[in-house]
Amino acid sequence: MMLHTLHCRRFRGLADTTFTPGPGVNIIYGANAQGKTSVLEAILYAATTRSHRTTTDAELARHEGHEFHIVANATRGNSPVTIEAHWWKGAKRFKVNSATQARLSDILGQLCVVFFAPEDITLVKGAASGRRLFLDMELSQLYPVYLRALQQYRHALRQRNELLRQHRDDTEMLAVWEAQLSEHGGVLMRMRAETITELSEIAADLYGRLVADEPLALTYQPDVGAPDAIAETLARARTTDLNRGNTGRGPHRDEMDIRIGDKSARAYGSQGQQKSVALVLKLAEVMLMQRHIGEYPVVLLDEAPAELDSNRAQRLFTVIPDAAQAIITTAQPIELLPLSRENATLFQIEGGCLEPGTH
Amino acid sequence: MFIQSPIVERLIESFRRLPGVGRKSAERYALHLLSMPPEQAFDFSAAMREAREGITWCPVCRNLTDTTPCVVCADDRRDQSLICVVEQPTGAMAIEKGGAYRGVYHVLHGVLNPLEGIGPDELQLELLFNRVKGGNISEVIVATNTTAEGEATALYLARRMGALGVQVSRIAHGVPMGGGVEYADAMTLAHALEGRSRI
Ligand SMILES: [Zn+2]
Repeated sequence: MMLHTLHCRRFRGLADTTFTPGPGVNIIYGANAQGKTSVLEAILYAATTRSHRTTTDAELARHEGHEFHIVANATRGNSPVTIEAHWWKGAKRFKVNSATQARLSDILGQLCVVFFAPEDITLVKGAASGRRLFLDMELSQLYPVYLRALQQYRHALRQRNELLRQHRDDTEMLAVWEAQLSEHGGVLMRMRAETITELSEIAADLYGRLVADEPLALTYQPDVGAPDAIAETLARARTTDLNRGNTGRGPHRDEMDIRIGDKSARAYGSQGQQKSVALVLKLAEVMLMQRHIGEYPVVLLDEAPAELDSNRAQRLFTVIPDAAQAIITTAQPIELLPLSRENATLFQIEGGCLEPGTH
Repeated sequence: MFIQSPIVERLIESFRRLPGVGRKSAERYALHLLSMPPEQAFDFSAAMREAREGITWCPVCRNLTDTTPCVVCADDRRDQSLICVVEQPTGAMAIEKGGAYRGVYHVLHGVLNPLEGIGPDELQLELLFNRVKGGNISEVIVATNTTAEGEATALYLARRMGALGVQVSRIAHGVPMGGGVEYADAMTLAHALEGRSRI
């Protein structure tokens, strides 16, 4: 996976610009609020149809304008892939190699990315929903089947919740949506279980080698014991659900438990441990993608970690192999980055304008 | 807008109510209509009015008809014990074009969709259940679309009518005839594999 060029027009505070990253490590440096994160956000948007900072696309248009455009030229395997994202007066349109995509979801997986943000620590210390989102994004980029099941599950969930919200005690009507939740939820559960097992192996190895000689383990904690039990669980919860007005059980309540030794990293981990675990999870995501699609995703790292002690950070980032393209932003003097800089391509950003940087 | 007039505006807005017609197409149609010889345009509006007044829903199957009941329901050479349930009249039309189906229809004019406020009452499903309860129905084929709502409706009908003791079946979904598997999308293929038959 390699990004060759990124054109942005009217996107955030960025000048209309073409960003041409090199292979390997790219560093974008500049003071705060100059548009560093917006460059990564544009790549993330083209790759996933969404921003990490907002769910309101209008916020992405420069000066509250009514349009923005992003074009990303990349290579996937040996094939060129061009993704166009056009947002115009509230309508969002994506093209892949000039063909309009009927479903936005068809974009996922065309350009695989893994995004590291300073707030990733919430992956470890925050609510279960953050860990589910992490899993969903990872699995959706890897497997179209998962993405499809996820969308259909969510759709059926909205339909069942609507019946519950109206307090419609109609067993037959509830049952037909439960059948769909069971079918699609079963796919989600099976694929989550497999992936967490694999992710746990990779993460444990990385953590042991790079952070501390303590056993790190990820465990799938599904809300419903087994895929076959979803329909029955939902059927039994009908009365409770009618009272609460929504669906209380199912894979949308799943959890991924993270433990260091026998302790929950969420409840008992130190700030430093939690940060390291979050980084290790993202790195494990990079490795897992490489295993499954045969090449590394584009690694996007917003604000190279200034606070991690530099030895540890250095070790963590040596794990990202030379074969992977990485785009890293920093507000620090680049000399302080825990990265080898000899082969890095540098860019400076000021007032939304990207310029080639100097070593 | 090519001419500022409330009369023309009303015409454009009328065209916009048709499916798939945006502002630009609506303007084009309006301009075309206004450029026609007047008799042609009047004929067009007369055809629309006549059709709208003359066509109603068949009281038995709710398909569009100009007779009561419709020609299909009235045809005793057709198998009146076999009902095919479709979402829209267009579904029945497509199956009629195939020419192979000898049973009768039931048109729902929609599908169950709680988010859009459409339930069994809105679709007047009691009409269908009463048809089945009336006896003489051997099988009901559900040919709703393969959308989430189409599938949910199919299952709902199967559960309700299964309880009435009638055989309910779902049309098979799969690869188009004459089409190679390489042209079918992943979902269609998955369905086709699930619904495979022995040869
Ligand atoms: Zn009829």
